[in-house]
Amino acid sequence: MTKGISNADQADEMKIGYPSVERARAANEVGAAIAHALNGPLTALLLYVSDLNQNSDRFPAGDSDGQSLKQVAENALRETERVCFLMQRIADAFETPLQEETAIAQGREVIRWLARVGEDGESVEHATPVAQEPLTAREREVLRLVIEGCTNKEGGKRLQISYRTFESHRAHLMRKLGAKNAVDLLKLALLMPETLSDTPPTDATSIKAVQA
Amino acid sequence: MHVVGPRAPGEVSNPAKPAYRVLVIDDDDCVGAAIKVTLARRNGETELASRAYAGIEALESSRFDVVLVDLFMPGMSGLDAISYIRRQSGIPIIAMSGFRLRDSRNSIDYLGMAMQRGASACICKPFAPQQLIEAIDRSFLLASSTTGSMQ
Repeated sequence: MTKGISNADQADEMKIGYPSVERARAANEVGAAIAHALNGPLTALLLYVSDLNQNSDRFPAGDSDGQSLKQVAENALRETERVCFLMQRIADAFETPLQEETAIAQGREVIRWLARVGEDGESVEHATPVAQEPLTAREREVLRLVIEGCTNKEGGKRLQISYRTFESHRAHLMRKLGAKNAVDLLKLALLMPETLSDTPPTDATSIKAVQA
Repeated sequence: MHVVGPRAPGEVSNPAKPAYRVLVIDDDDCVGAAIKVTLARRNGETELASRAYAGIEALESSRFDVVLVDLFMPGMSGLDAISYIRRQSGIPIIAMSGFRLRDSRNSIDYLGMAMQRGASACICKPFAPQQLIEAIDRSFLLASSTTGSMQ
């Protein structure tokens, strides 16, 4: 790691001082992954410590040192809030023009895999988080055809692409949707018809275009 | 302080009868557990689902007054869960998301997408109890103003 990382106050300088795009991407992914991994526990911590503070009138009075539990709870809340703030800054500091959501998704994926493998017998495949990445227009077309029952060859023919390309789109969209097989895709299509339709705001660009 | 009808999540004296039922759909169980403690102090009863499908099943089999949905979960995403739930009912939905997903230059506005899909309010993690209560109040208020009465 670079010397910039040793001091959180230099976070702004770091953005300028990146030696390479690869490094920026790596830092981005690590920062985003850490922020995301800590997100849940920090939320829980903030709620618990706030709860202690809101009920601190039930604590016994201060002991001989004058250090009351109430004061300890207040300090705990202040530090928790500080950690939340720092975490937000760490997450924000890694802003680059790169595809940050992809970085977040990838980083989170890694951490979740690590956390889940072996836990209640869940396999890595099953633990793959999904659907944060919207399907592309092409992937939606491929999804529609797969649900109609097209084989890769038939689908490729209908879209006038090679069956290998079709297969690759299919693999990609299944990964995005967390589907293990065609039955999963069918279930998904029944539950969420908008996954298949062209018009809905399934991807960010369409939303931005509407808002612009 | 935040009184919006009979199911307001403000402090209520009688904890025997829950004033409102909350479903939290979040794959990170620690979040739901903490929300449960926070809302229990305010007369709310909280149930947890760690996958969108499980949450949808819970909504179909039991009555809830509000549902909190994390946007990023393995399996069906929170956004898709919101679309699905909204098609089924007018229940107040609160979208939850983490760091970086608030408005920033290059980021996809997930919370905006959640609102577009029918969420009533949204909240960024980590949040303090007050922010949670306010989001629930907002969602109740919105539900009561759009559907007349939510019984």
